[in-house]
Amino acid sequence: MSTRFDVIVVGAGPAGLTAAQQLASRGFKVLVIERGKKPGSKNVFGGRIYAHVLDRLYPEYVKEAPVERWVRRERVTFMTEDAWTTVDFETTKTEHRSFTTYLTNFVEWLGKKAESAGAVVVSEVPVDSLVIKDGRVVGVRAGNDEVYSDVVVVAEGINRLVLERSGLAPKLSPDIVALGVKEVIKLDKNTINERFGLDEDEGLAWVLAGYPTHYLPGGAFIYTNKEAITLGIVLYLKYGYQLDIPIYELIEEFRLHPLVKRLVKGGQLLEYSAHLTPVAGLNASPPNLYGNGYLVVGDAAGFLLHLGIIIRGVDFAMESGRLAAEAIIKAHDVGRYDAETLSIYGKMLEESFVLRELRTFRNAHKVLMEPRLYDDYVKLINKALARYFDVDGTPRRLGSTLLEAKGNITLLDLARDAIRVVMNL
Amino acid sequence: MSLDRKIPIEERLNSNAWDVDQRPHIRIIDPEQCRKCDKKPCLYLCPARCYTPGPNGTVLFSHEGCLECGTCRVVCPENNIEWNYPRSGFGVQYRFG
Repeated sequence: MSTRFDVIVVGAGPAGLTAAQQLASRGFKVLVIERGKKPGSKNVFGGRIYAHVLDRLYPEYVKEAPVERWVRRERVTFMTEDAWTTVDFETTKTEHRSFTTYLTNFVEWLGKKAESAGAVVVSEVPVDSLVIKDGRVVGVRAGNDEVYSDVVVVAEGINRLVLERSGLAPKLSPDIVALGVKEVIKLDKNTINERFGLDEDEGLAWVLAGYPTHYLPGGAFIYTNKEAITLGIVLYLKYGYQLDIPIYELIEEFRLHPLVKRLVKGGQLLEYSAHLTPVAGLNASPPNLYGNGYLVVGDAAGFLLHLGIIIRGVDFAMESGRLAAEAIIKAHDVGRYDAETLSIYGKMLEESFVLRELRTFRNAHKVLMEPRLYDDYVKLINKALARYFDVDGTPRRLGSTLLEAKGNITLLDLARDAIRVVMNL
Repeated sequence: MSLDRKIPIEERLNSNAWDVDQRPHIRIIDPEQCRKCDKKPCLYLCPARCYTPGPNGTVLFSHEGCLECGTCRVVCPENNIEWNYPRSGFGVQYRFG
């Protein structure tokens, strides 16, 4: 591969392929280098994509994209071993707001989009590092090969080995990532519709907290696909050291919890996967999002919004890829790809939802790392309701039942945590 | 395989598609460091159980079931893991990721 490209993209995921498609469709000579056998084969996520970015990038997506189900039902559950409390939201509106899918299929579709726009996608090649000459990124290195370009888009995902090896990011810290472990369980369509109260093509997105992580910061998710259910647990690695059983057992306990067990009964395991996810908002970003000859997008840039109940990675990744492409087009017009010219990428990020939302919720991760949310409060709500519903002739007011159930938590703790949650999430 | 019980990790990994490289992509750098490590978080935080207790407080590593998540590299308190992705397309082949 001695040919020179205008742009090299490291990693064929949602961010990299969006950048590649945008640039190729504007006439740039683009090379995407992917370590997997094909785009998508190394991608894992929870299960849902918020579609607003697709309206703009691929208006034809409603018919073309590998959508499993449109989410019309949302659930949030506070779960203990023997009791659980659920908020269940449902809408009859049929707007296309978010859908469940397999990221593997979705990324494969994005790969085809990039290729039909003219991008060259080379698979089965892990990039080792960037080629840096005189303080400028001029290409990438894979084994003994070097390929050169005017600018490199780093879209390598959360494990940013390329940036680390090139001295552009510190080693990933357990404080800024969570481990997600997922099981995909095959069930027939009618069984899913009956068990989850869904109509044809309607989907459910469900987050659960408390027991799934043995009350450590993190949680669990369940999504309905056409003919499968994806379930998994997410554990903040900052608290991973406190886990009392191995993580590969933890997900089994969640699946065998009475609430979950009856929902997946008779199913068949299709796949068992695991992936890291950034959970520290802007604190998960590398020191620089751009520099002389390079830009960072997607998970590698830490662009994932985690609000506990709402988790958005793919829309942030795709938007950052689109903005990187716009920035490169502007830099091309100027004729330079130095940090100063590429700083337009930073400005565009600031004006877009990517940094506007990440800044709005810049303290979300601090609130969400508070262990009381996953332990004391989950237990409190279930204990209080269990007492309240347990009618035995003793008069029970809501207030006194709550006070009794709160145990050692002071009212001050409660008030302070409630305010922090409401103000920051 | 019934879902009414804990499915052993080996069985769960068998449901995946693989193209395993003979050459390991991850390596424990210094076994002596593992011996001195109290917590050994790799043993319980690797979702594929690639790390198992060895003789005399050491840790044994097997790359075959590796899900390429990167957790071991992040949680190793001694920075004692040399972590790479498998070469040229090898490793786990996700179909429902």
